[in-house]
Amino acid sequence: METEQFNIRMPKDLVQDLNIISKLLKVNKSEWVKTKLAEEVHEEKNKLLMELSTLYANGMISKEKIEKLVGKGIADEMESIKIIAEKSAKHGLEYGKKLRKLHS
Amino acid sequence: MAKSSENYILDTSALISLESINILEQVLKVFSIATTNSVIKELEEFTKYDDKYGKLAKNILKLKTRFTIESCEIKESIKYIEATDNELYNLSLKKELPLVTDETKLVHHTRHKIEVYFSPVFLILLLKSGYLSKEKALELLEELRNIRNWRNNIIYLITKSQLEML
Repeated sequence: METEQFNIRMPKDLVQDLNIISKLLKVNKSEWVKTKLAEEVHEEKNKLLMELSTLYANGMISKEKIEKLVGKGIADEMESIKIIAEKSAKHGLEYGKKLRKLHS
Repeated sequence: MAKSSENYILDTSALISLESINILEQVLKVFSIATTNSVIKELEEFTKYDDKYGKLAKNILKLKTRFTIESCEIKESIKYIEATDNELYNLSLKKELPLVTDETKLVHHTRHKIEVYFSPVFLILLLKSGYLSKEKALELLEELRNIRNWRNNIIYLITKSQLEML
């Protein structure tokens, strides 16, 4: 996996706490921080994107605005999901109605 | 009752979603459903785990004699999706049938090439064709939302607003 250096200054107390965790769990301090940070970033990113997509589904934000905020890739994917969710509903309505007539 | 002539291809995510809210058997009674051998293999892998998905996969496999199961040569490949999904995409192209999936990435990369729907399409289909009441369909959508951790995602919001209008 490609990596990039990211330095942060941390309070001494926090570093000491990390040392305790590292000794007790017998794990590498940096690896443990990396894993925990990845979990938190993943969860927060998903939560924020979910909120953004709710605004988009409700017509409260445009695709262009989403593109400016998070990039074209995510904006395009949200647009696809909205279009297909609407298409699924339309298909269900139209074909379901047809089926009811066929079986009545 | 005779089955509808309409056929659908279902991937693992759609089968899991439908079984998780106990409507897969009803869907199989009304519609003709096809899937691939790779999907069956994926479900067999799930059964090795004694968790929620393992149990759902076991239940789906009990119904497998009622699907059409096919292997499909990958003639046209989409580079952003996995081999299993490429096989489903090619089966959909070959048979000219819609693919039902809850994988948003798969939907995004195939939507211009094949007909594709999210699994809640069956809630609306069963409601409109008289097999489910509106209250039951809304209840099942809430159940699916919780099981799939959809929270307020686009699929949930759009399906809910459509069901409420019926």
